[in-house]
Amino acid sequence: MNKTVSIIITFGLMVALGIIFFGKSNTNPISAQNVEIKNGVQYITIDAKGGYFPNVSMAKAGIPTKLIMKTSGTYDCSAALVIRSIGFQKILQQNGETEIDIGMPKAGEPLQGICGMGMYSFNINFEN
Amino acid sequence: MLKKYSFHVSGTHCASCKILIEDILKEQDFVKSARVDLKKEIVEIETKNEQNAEELIQILTEKIKPHGYALSENLLGGTLDKNNDNEVIWKAIPIGLAFLILFFLLQKSGILNLGIGGAATPMTSFFIGLIASVSSCLAIVGGLVLSLSAKIEQDDDNNNRSTGKLFISFHLGRLIGFGLLGGALGLIGQTLGINFLFSAILGLLAATAMILLGLNLLGIFKKSAFTMPSHLFSFFRKAEHATWAPIIVGVGTFFLPCGFTQSMQVAALGSGSLMSGFFIMFAFALGTLPMLALLSFGSISFARSKYAPLFFKSVGVVVVGFGLFAFLAGLAGLGIINPLFNI
Repeated sequence: MNKTVSIIITFGLMVALGIIFFGKSNTNPISAQNVEIKNGVQYITIDAKGGYFPNVSMAKAGIPTKLIMKTSGTYDCSAALVIRSIGFQKILQQNGETEIDIGMPKAGEPLQGICGMGMYSFNINFEN
Repeated sequence: MLKKYSFHVSGTHCASCKILIEDILKEQDFVKSARVDLKKEIVEIETKNEQNAEELIQILTEKIKPHGYALSENLLGGTLDKNNDNEVIWKAIPIGLAFLILFFLLQKSGILNLGIGGAATPMTSFFIGLIASVSSCLAIVGGLVLSLSAKIEQDDDNNNRSTGKLFISFHLGRLIGFGLLGGALGLIGQTLGINFLFSAILGLLAATAMILLGLNLLGIFKKSAFTMPSHLFSFFRKAEHATWAPIIVGVGTFFLPCGFTQSMQVAALGSGSLMSGFFIMFAFALGTLPMLALLSFGSISFARSKYAPLFFKSVGVVVVGFGLFAFLAGLAGLGIINPLFNI
């Protein structure tokens, strides 16, 4: 193989790899459907399976908030959840829902959850 | 009458190797003097005996083999070799990158997120093992297996049988270790090996080892980059050739961060008995075996073909890629950096 051709191919492959890693995910990042207020408590639902969906959520600040992690046959990294800001780390059950109390979130302080190996993460932004 | 010989010496990783080899060679009463040139990987010997070069190589290799070195006929035309090296690396980089792209595309496609519902039985854990072995867990465990296989194979090219044995003990260690530790989890019903911090640090170590091994396979910093005290080094050298070392590494993979392994550990934990814990983890390890065995034994057969140089370099690219991925992910998992990607 010619060296120049090889370098060009290498460059192309690097770009492809960059797109895979840093390109926009095709799943809708912001979904209004996963936040619900019932009896003065805000519930944010996130599906954990092969990643976290949605991986960016918007919620209200200043009201008691609970996070519901939904799993169904989740055996991958997303089951090993870490939420550093509230000191939460647990391996979620393979099937079912786990309720996590995150107290009264403040505006402008997003909550970040990440899986134990660090390959999947999600963010919840709070605003007034 | 003194005769002078100059041989190629392989396995020299550090400055202290020079002293060790020279000492061993000088212990032989027919060797008058020995001098190692680390840069050229050459040893010059003056001898009183009448042996020819081949006999000398055989006798002396015998002496230094236990320490992981080997002598061979001096390779002529070292510069020619270097040119060849350059050609190979430009083939190996695209091959390695293409492999990485395929792998991460597969992860991103979501094909691997098969729904496996219900409680974990040995049967389901076997299938989960199968899936895990081609998932991003492969980035750590598989990458480690691949890099170690290639490295060992590259190091002792004369030791055909022992390499195979090494892998068999690794895989056996992994299978039995998973079973026994799983049984212990079921019995105790307490956390063991699912300490996030511990496994994250272990993951970072594994990632670092992969990057170093990968760079080494690529031939970027060769040998003397790691200079360790000689006795410490010879300990590692011996460990690499000892029978227990691959078994320990195999068992150790139990603690490596991998979501699948961790979920199975929780399942074993919840199973509540020694036997069911044993079978869940054993079946899981068995499920990962086909892929891992393919990686290790496949690399032996490649390494012995004429494509060996290309193979080692391509593996180097892949392993460095996996290592960087696992390292960055591990740092994000520990909360040291922000997560860079969602794969």
